[in-house]
Amino acid sequence: MNKAKNVAFSYSFLFPSFILTMVLGIYPMIWALRYMFYDYKGFGAERFVGLANFERVMRDQQFWESVANTFIYAGGKLLLSIPLALILAVILNWNIKGKNLLRAIFFMPTIISTAVMAVVFFTIFNSYNGILNQFLMKYLFIQSAVDWLGVDYAMLTVILVAVWGAVGNYMLLFLAGLQNIPQDVYESSALDGANKLQQFRYITIPMLGPVMQMIIMLAIINALKGYESIMVMTDGGPIGKTNVMFLYVYKLFFPPAGGAAATQIQEFGYGSAVAFVTAVIVGIITILYFYGSRRMSQND
Amino acid sequence: MKIAWNTILWTFLIVVAFLTLFPVVITFLGSFKTNAELTAGATFLPADWQFSNYLEAWKQANFSTYTLNSLFVATASTLGTLLVASMAAYVVNRMDFIGKKIYVSLQAFTMFVAIGAVVLRPQFDLMIKLHLHESLWGVILILISAHASAFFILLSFMNGIPRELDEAARIDGCSSGRTFWRIIIPLLTPGLGVCALFAFRGAWNEYLLPFVFTLSKPELQTLTVGLANLKYGVAAASQTHFMMAGACLSILPILIAYIFANKSFMQMTAGSLKG
Repeated sequence: MNKAKNVAFSYSFLFPSFILTMVLGIYPMIWALRYMFYDYKGFGAERFVGLANFERVMRDQQFWESVANTFIYAGGKLLLSIPLALILAVILNWNIKGKNLLRAIFFMPTIISTAVMAVVFFTIFNSYNGILNQFLMKYLFIQSAVDWLGVDYAMLTVILVAVWGAVGNYMLLFLAGLQNIPQDVYESSALDGANKLQQFRYITIPMLGPVMQMIIMLAIINALKGYESIMVMTDGGPIGKTNVMFLYVYKLFFPPAGGAAATQIQEFGYGSAVAFVTAVIVGIITILYFYGSRRMSQND
Repeated sequence: MKIAWNTILWTFLIVVAFLTLFPVVITFLGSFKTNAELTAGATFLPADWQFSNYLEAWKQANFSTYTLNSLFVATASTLGTLLVASMAAYVVNRMDFIGKKIYVSLQAFTMFVAIGAVVLRPQFDLMIKLHLHESLWGVILILISAHASAFFILLSFMNGIPRELDEAARIDGCSSGRTFWRIIIPLLTPGLGVCALFAFRGAWNEYLLPFVFTLSKPELQTLTVGLANLKYGVAAASQTHFMMAGACLSILPILIAYIFANKSFMQMTAGSLKG
């Protein structure tokens, strides 16, 4: 066998993947790592400023508000979606009628575009002539329209939309975990007189531990990173109430063309620094969670 | 006791199923309503089925262009992803060469580290330098470059193809390239199908990337972008029926694919747990 020829062949087959990954995946990250030490607005001269951008991040009120918003958003999303997904998974793991159809229905939202659904939800939650308000006023005798996307409820609304899109995914992951639990454990516990609730508490939860740890970690990262649907539905408004950190970063790189937006100029250098800080925040939370939840994976 | 328990169980399941389906059903039914009915009345079924909404959205609101653009982006990036990822998976699985481990860690790295919209900026500037920002090829190349998950899926499928087949082909005088096209690719079809489903869904649903790339070129907008822009349009309030029809146009292809390939969609998601 011709070894040199094989190696050359391997490299040639790897080349398209390697070059695309380097140029469009790795290079942009290095670009950001470099510019976080620069003052650069996308045009004109770039000026090395050392850690000045990071000092500015520390003082940036709007950014820290967006961090707080992100925690509210992620926390709300997790608190609603994880328990609901777990309950649905446990039920649909029983041998009930129509379980396949129900699984398919609950999973459906995850295949639809987040942006498209955000547009649809916008028309549903719209305070003026929104579909939800029409129904509420007609059938539930609510006197005045609820301002679902206003200051008071906007965060709740975007959380509900996020939960709608996420539950099916986590349900399916829980289901996969449940199916790995041997059935005879349940059978022998039933012989010992355990009811379904006891089985859930003393068998399902502990045996699902490692899988649950991973699903929640995935969910945390996703919740901290998600901003597409918020961008379409509220664009961070009203008055920054739903501005999350990834949306804040986005706007530093692609400032809105008009209107009374918070930032009007491109801030490539500063934006890179903010992005780095957000990545660190996500990283720290992930690590904290991972070590804090170790008991879950010990399976006892 | 048993009956009460069953009632609670089924009420719960039906309520959740209703809430899950409601937005999609309301969109579908809304796409046949007149604009006046959408903005004024709390009706469930359309009073008068307006099939013309689709025709008008298709022509007036430019959904014909958006659909073509979406199809182009999704098809090209799916084909590109399959080609690039399957070639890489083949040599990583079957050959021995220096730097293999580095390459695999590189792919894993790109899957787990993401810093959001920041990377869009250098990507955009690169495409301007390459003169690819005037077309959708820039978007397509960036979508193809994110092929790490397809690579790992195909790698695991590749493991299932017996190596004896390659060896037999080699003894018969087949070159490595020929073995790939004639033996591996046909046997890899199930894996390619799953990857295609995922890549197509991802590209079809992608919003931010085509949005940024078409900011100054509305004629290149995809369905997701064109639809979201209707929301910002000057006459947004008067175009709800277009929004509903457009949403249906963008949901339907994926929904139909899902109904037929329901199992594959679900297995892949569930499979991602076992690592």
